Amino acid sequence: MSDVNNGISRRSVLKGAAIGGVGLAAGGSLLAGCGKKKVTGDVHFTIRGNLSDAGAKINVAVNDAYTAKTGNKVISQAVNSDDFQNNFVQIMQGTPDDAFGWMAGWRTNARADAGLLADVSEQIKALGSTLSAAAIQGATNPTDGKQYIIPTTYYPWGLHYRKSTMQELGLDPENIATWDDLIKLCEATQKKGLVGYAMGDKGGWEAMGTFDIINMRLNGYQFHIDLLNGKEQWTDSKVVDVFTHMAQLIPFMNKNFLDIEWDGCRDLLLQKKAGAMMMGSWFANDFKAKSQADYDDLWIVAFPEMNAEHGIDSIDAPLDGVSVAANGKNPEGGADLAQFWGSKEGIDAAVAAGDTNIYISSDFDTSTYDAFNKQKLAVLGEAKNIGFFLDRDTRGDFAGPVVGPALQSFLKNPKDVAKILENVQKQWDALPAL
Amino acid sequence: MKTAATDKKIRSRRSLSRNDRFTLAAFIGIPTLMQIIFLWLPALITIVLSFTYWNGINVSDIKWAGLANYKNIFFGTPVFYEALKNNLVWLLWFTFIATPLGILLAYQIDRKIKGHKIYETVYYIPVVLSLAIIGIIWNFMLQPGGFVQGVMGRDIGNAVSIWGNYSINTYVIMGVASWRHIGYIMLLYLAGLKSVDPSLREASAIDGATEWQTFKKIILPTMRPVNIIIVVITIIESLRAFDLVYIIYGTSTAWPLLNILVFQNFAGQGISMKGAAYAVILLVLCIGPILLYLRNVFKEDLK
Repeated sequence: MSDVNNGISRRSVLKGAAIGGVGLAAGGSLLAGCGKKKVTGDVHFTIRGNLSDAGAKINVAVNDAYTAKTGNKVISQAVNSDDFQNNFVQIMQGTPDDAFGWMAGWRTNARADAGLLADVSEQIKALGSTLSAAAIQGATNPTDGKQYIIPTTYYPWGLHYRKSTMQELGLDPENIATWDDLIKLCEATQKKGLVGYAMGDKGGWEAMGTFDIINMRLNGYQFHIDLLNGKEQWTDSKVVDVFTHMAQLIPFMNKNFLDIEWDGCRDLLLQKKAGAMMMGSWFANDFKAKSQADYDDLWIVAFPEMNAEHGIDSIDAPLDGVSVAANGKNPEGGADLAQFWGSKEGIDAAVAAGDTNIYISSDFDTSTYDAFNKQKLAVLGEAKNIGFFLDRDTRGDFAGPVVGPALQSFLKNPKDVAKILENVQKQWDALPAL
Repeated sequence: MKTAATDKKIRSRRSLSRNDRFTLAAFIGIPTLMQIIFLWLPALITIVLSFTYWNGINVSDIKWAGLANYKNIFFGTPVFYEALKNNLVWLLWFTFIATPLGILLAYQIDRKIKGHKIYETVYYIPVVLSLAIIGIIWNFMLQPGGFVQGVMGRDIGNAVSIWGNYSINTYVIMGVASWRHIGYIMLLYLAGLKSVDPSLREASAIDGATEWQTFKKIILPTMRPVNIIIVVITIIESLRAFDLVYIIYGTSTAWPLLNILVFQNFAGQGISMKGAAYAVILLVLCIGPILLYLRNVFKEDLK
């Protein structure tokens, strides 16, 4: 697969571009292709996750497609996602893989400022109008206005449930419009012996999703972002109010929420043991890997309105993409692969491998999306403001070490909320300026 | 007297040929050098860094923070005290339950009670496993969807809460850690007991000493070198505990230990160097009691 000689592969690039040349967007990529020197050499790619995961297999398929197109061999290795994140700075200072799946937001920008990531603004330009202005904005590092990640996919955080379960219970989650509706739904599910609001927070980050959305619903997007950046106080009664509402959900959660992580939550839903689950839609890949019927049964709705002033105008929708290591052996190759990931060909390869993500590139025809993906777009479409999720919207030494344990303590002892929030604020105040 | 002294000097000098001296220098020098480079230097750097703010990337970014990291830990981080408490519980449990149990087992097995070979093997098996592996095994057994839950007919939805149940998880973790520690101590003590002269026991038996008196007055004192090792091991194992809990809880500090905090705050997230400060606190806690104990022991030996 790797030893295609350069002449042939270049021809196939031109051929591919010529065929696509009828479309306007593809014409743009043809121009970009002409202006650039051919990139060669092996590319090393880190997949976050286990190779047995459905998502990892899709990663490999995209990399294979890149090899088929360019003749550049891609050596993929899968690394446990948490380990990769935790050791990121060390890995990037050594001899890292050239490119890797990564997340837009703080995790990209702070590391770019430290010189660990390669500038991919050129590749973003080459992808041109296929990326929406909002996506480029989301991928841009505010410090220098450059991009260090090629955004490829995104997903909404919303209430997930199984259509069949709700039908059996005679419930209609599509019509939950208010907080009271949600509570009633949870009550009704629980009465039938199911978990009302599936929660797993052993990982320490999962409950952030619920916190984010309630804060955005009650206090609005701007307050939420300001709070995460130290411009508002955690001891504010508005924040206390968020926790008061969260506490109302605790009785409907599975009792072992500190025993299971997000995947335990997913299994609760998969095994029809739970009604609703607040989660990012990325896990749908696992439903599809289980069976098409399970996947077809999965549905998502937006978290209900809690304050008329803000309606449902905000959502957590993290941008995922591919970043390039500054210290890799072949950063050019890495950047080229990253660009491929963001291009139509890359997306086609992912879709062919069964990916259920929604893509940022407008090169991808959204009319081919399945019903679930169209619903994801609909949920996203209702929001004006996009958050990236708590651990990407605030600094890393605050999200994991401070907010994570605080949410766990809160779930354990909801009555301690005042003390917990006071401590969170104290720890924010103690953080050194970046 | 003078001649005797010089005699001794000459003899000792003679006994070390050039070759011997070279060998000795190499034997002492190389490990010392490696200790300095790989242990003392990083330790010193960690101590210095604990007084700074740094993102761990460019040396030029290091900023002096004074005592800020320590202040932050002692006065602003509730999870630190939880970790301290858990480490302390670990230490107390090992000192008063696991270690004595190991010693008791060794003593019984050494007396060749019925089936002692079987006991020896059974208790020894966990010792060959690292605590990380033990974490994987017990996590697999007890987590929701795990083996034990399956046997009890509990699925994920109604699984018995163990790791997330704060009235029992400490004891479960202690039990799992002891599973290995008891065997470890048993093994060390058994090796020591084998070297105790049997005639000592016979003598005490003839003198009419009870089993407990024999153990306390005869066996324990003769086992002194082994006892020192066991005390040191018990303290160090309790304070350096990490892998078992990391496997179960990851970096989320759901059941914090000092080492987990070191890791969590070092792991490329922060710029506060709180991780270094935690490491220094841990170092002081580890070295303090051990130095005290060893000093006492050597003092008594000199007497």
